[in-house]
This record gives sequence, structure tokens and C-alpha cells, in this order.
Amino acid sequence: MRVIIFSWEYPPRVVGQLADYIKALSTQLVKNKVETYVVTYHDSLTGAVEEANGVRVARVANPVRAHIGVLTWDLTLNQEVERAAASIYYNADEKVDLINVYDWHFIPAAVTLKNALKIPFVYSVESLENHRSPDPNTPYSMSIKSIEWLGLYESEKVSVKSEWMRDEIVRIHNVPEEKVKVVSPSADSWIKDVLELYKTVAGGANGK
Amino acid sequence: MKNKLSVMMFSWEYPPRVIGGISPHVYFLSKSLAEIGVKVHVVTCDFPGAPAHEVIDGVEVHRIDSYKNPSPDFATWVYLMNLNMQREAAAIVNKLGGKIDVFHAHDWLVATAGIGLKHVFRKPLLVTMHSTEIGRRDGLHTDTEKMIHETEAWLTYEAWKVVCCSDYMVSHVKWAFGLPEDKLVMIPNGVNTRAYEDPENEHYETFRAKFALPHEKIVLYVGRLVYEKGIHVLINAVPKVLAKVDAKFIIVGSGYMKEQLLDIVKSMRLEHKVLFLGFVDEENLLRLQKCADVSVVPSLFEPFGIVALEAMAAKSPVVVSDTGGLSEIVDHDVTGFKAYPNNPESLAWGITRILIDENYKKYIRENAFRKVQEKYDWQKIAQQTKQIYKSVLGEYSKSFWA
Repeated sequence: MRVIIFSWEYPPRVVGQLADYIKALSTQLVKNKVETYVVTYHDSLTGAVEEANGVRVARVANPVRAHIGVLTWDLTLNQEVERAAASIYYNADEKVDLINVYDWHFIPAAVTLKNALKIPFVYSVESLENHRSPDPNTPYSMSIKSIEWLGLYESEKVSVKSEWMRDEIVRIHNVPEEKVKVVSPSADSWIKDVLELYKTVAGGANGK
Repeated sequence: MKNKLSVMMFSWEYPPRVIGGISPHVYFLSKSLAEIGVKVHVVTCDFPGAPAHEVIDGVEVHRIDSYKNPSPDFATWVYLMNLNMQREAAAIVNKLGGKIDVFHAHDWLVATAGIGLKHVFRKPLLVTMHSTEIGRRDGLHTDTEKMIHETEAWLTYEAWKVVCCSDYMVSHVKWAFGLPEDKLVMIPNGVNTRAYEDPENEHYETFRAKFALPHEKIVLYVGRLVYEKGIHVLINAVPKVLAKVDAKFIIVGSGYMKEQLLDIVKSMRLEHKVLFLGFVDEENLLRLQKCADVSVVPSLFEPFGIVALEAMAAKSPVVVSDTGGLSEIVDHDVTGFKAYPNNPESLAWGITRILIDENYKKYIRENAFRKVQEKYDWQKIAQQTKQIYKSVLGEYSKSFWA
């Protein structure tokens, strides 16, 4: 199986807990014979490398330096994520089983790649704008929420780390409950559960 | 190439959505390309009442849901609209079995959609730069302006070729983004000369009488009443012209300088000689251009100058200021009169010369009309554009993406 993970943080860029989680996940995936790529953001360490744990990491930077907010920064960075992912795809005989995208930042790229190259994606929700923002009804937050919604709508499966989060997604975004899978990183069966989820999605999107 | 050349164009406006000059440009370019056997798909923003998909003059028009995501400001809306444009265009390309040879983007407003699709499908991208942020704003003063400028720079970087509509814009774009010479192509903007063909039995005398007395010559200005268009220079030239020849000055368009201009005219006691018409519909504008004894384009800044071309197509002799795209459109004393920019004396001299010297006027309008037909004809422009597509595809076929 060949998987690309999209995450806006990956060591050495550590913003929150996600970077270390993605590192642990990708390392475990490689150990379980999954060809694993990570596409992430770094302002200066750009390019593709294979790291010691066998994970192939592609780091991209934003070609546009001046911005008026996180949204414009994010929406211009996505084209570079698409470029890196497309390079992986074309260098791998045009076969990528799935993309696993973490949080909303790279949802635009995942959506384009699904529609263009028929690569299905899993949307792993770490947090929601409704919980992060003190006022989720500002135009700014509404905008981010609409990107989250797009990800929930276009993904094959949604994964969350707790039942509470599953219920919140169902409540806030009206997603059918069976689309949301709880994969707890503290469970003994964690990596088995991840692989299980990947297997249900791989090749499932549009028959590729 | 065995199959028909196939192009997907991205534009944020296409009729009936008309905001500026890109909409008519893309309409005529795509239509004229279709007429010479190019399959064109235009992907554009939606418009109330316009269908999501239709075929217009042989062109496949796809209108995307452009207000799907709420946005805090215009620039963010542009990028979010591009997200949806990319998503819908990707699905269209897939439905066509990937049979698109070239992507063609018009301005930064569709930059990220064009760039993203180029990479996911690995097809060449062309861009037409109609204007630039640094030119529009005369510098970069805010983060938004810098961001737009950098998006434009990125777009021209990702493009295989950058098309500009005048030599002036070629050198401007080359300077603004530091592009190599061989990346730039000049293909002029066009004029639909057919719109200016005389209908049978058209009585211009009655129409003309609504605006001017029989012995008055008509001097026409068409444009926004803003500083960079130099309308104040024309107003200052009015008494100088009237000293030599009796004329009526007709001003079409509106803008923030209107009150100020009215005051100047009033203080010169020339209200009966200068007529401010405001906005005029297309049909009446066409008639005015046909009735005009001279059309004046006194701009201080002008990337292209389509209004001069339209006057030339209407067989109205032109006086323009020698600047920007106007300098290229008009050859002095051959296809028009070129006045010194921001100089009422020079402008009055040109206007008077055309109004008094019938032979000069006749010579100029005939040459001008011929030039419009030869150089600014949409069929010719479509041929040139098709040649660029072909040469890009020739280079592409030798690249590792092919």
C-alpha cells in the first residue's frame, strides 16, 4: 500500500502535538510495510528526502511571502502541496492508494487530487474551528468551517481520536455517523485500526 | 497533432458576467479560436440566470459555484473561488478523459486554479497578463497589494509563456516580475470590426441633430472621468479649439472628477459647447462614434487603449496622447494624431488640424481603419494565439512531463 499523509507540522517543525503524532504514525506505517510519504510545510528545509525511519518527507514553502491572514497563506500553500503530491504520484507509476489529510489546512489539495487523480482521502480531524475559535460565526471562522465541511463532504472516511469528537462532527456538520471512524492512539490495536481503516478506503474512491 | 487542439481557459468573468475588459476579451478570443478549429473550454464564475454549462459560439462554457465559501474579504474570496474552480475544472478534465492540451489563465484572479491544475495534470500553463497590481496602484503600499503582486509573480513564473496585449505591457511585465525576454509574447487585444459595419438605411443626421447643430463639428471623448484618463487636459483644450473652429464636445462616461470638470466648463462659460452624457448604452455609443468628426484619447496612463481602436474601427479619426499602448496603436500623421501627454496646446492643435483639413482627416481615418482590420482583427489574434499553443506544445512534447 502507498499512502501520502498531509500535515502542516512534522519534525523539526513542531507547533502542537500533531508533529510527533504524525512521526509516530508514519514510522509505524513503514514498519507495517506501507510505503509512506509525508507532505508538510517548512519555510526553508524544502525538498524531498527519505528519513532514517524510512518515511519519505516532502517539505514545501509558500511562494507568496506577503499575506493578510492565515487563510490566504493556507490557500496559496496548497498548490505547492499539490505539486509535491503529484510528483509522488507520477514517480510511482500513477498509483497512490490514499491520502490521509490532517486538519483543514491541506483539505483544498486533497479535494483537488481526489477530483483530478482519483486518489481517495481520509480526513483526520484533530480539532474543529467551532472549538478553537471564541466566536465561530465571524466571516473568518465561517470561511475555515466551510473548508472543514468540504473535507468532510469529499472524504471517503473521517477519522477521529475520540467518541466525543465523532459526536461533535455529527452534531456540527451533519455528517452521517457511519462515515466517522474512531481510531484511538492509546488503544493497543491503534496501528491495526489505522491499517484497517486504510484498507476500506484504498481503491475505494473511483475505482483506481 | 492527430486530435483537435484542446484548451481550457480560466477567467473570473465571461458574459453575461462583465466586470472589466477580461470578459469581452475571453469571449472574442475563445469564439475566434473555436472558429479556426480549436476546442475551447472556458471555466468561469457563475452569474444569476446563466446556466452552469452551455455552448456559446462553439465554446464550451462552464460556470462554477464561485460563492460557495463565505469569505472575510475580496482577496480571500478570490483564493476560495479558485479552490472551487480547481475542484470543478479537475472533474471536467477527468470527464473529458484528460483530453486538454493547454491551460490558459487570465490574470491573477485565477492564478492558483491554473497553477494547481498544471501540476496535478502535468500540462503546460499559459497566462495573459491584462494588468498588474503594481501598475494599477502605482506601487505596492499594503499587504494585500504585495500579496497580489507576489501571486502575479508566481503565476508568471509557473507559466510557459506570458502573453501581453501591447509592447508597453511586455516591457512593464518584464520589469515588474524580472522575467526573461523569451518568456514574453505580444499579441494585441482585438476589436470586433463587424459591430461597426453600417446597417442599411441608418439615418445619422437625425441622431446627430440631438447632440450638435449642423455647422458644429463633433469632438468625442469616451472614458471614465478620472485623472489618469486626462479628461481635464481635453477640457482645457476646449477654448483653444473653439478659437479656430466651431465644435461640440461630447463627453461620455462618469467618474469622481465630474463635478470639478463641470465647474471648469462653467467658469469658462462654455456649458453650451461641452455636453456631459454620463453612461451611454452600447448601441448609442456606436452611433456617437460613427458621428464623431474626431475622437480624443488624452490619457496620462494607458496599458492598451481599446477606446482608440474602437474609434478607428468606427472610422472616426483619433487624437491620442503619446503614451503607453496608445503610442503603439497610432502612427503619427498616418493613422492618427499623437499629442504630447498632459499638454492642452498640443491636444488642441491635433483636434483643430483634423477638423479643418478634410484631406488630412480622410487620409487618417482610411489608414486607421485598414490598420485595425490588419492588426487588431480577432481572427488574426486567434491565429497568433494558436501558434503560441502549438509552439508551447512542441517544447512540452520533448519534456519529461509529456
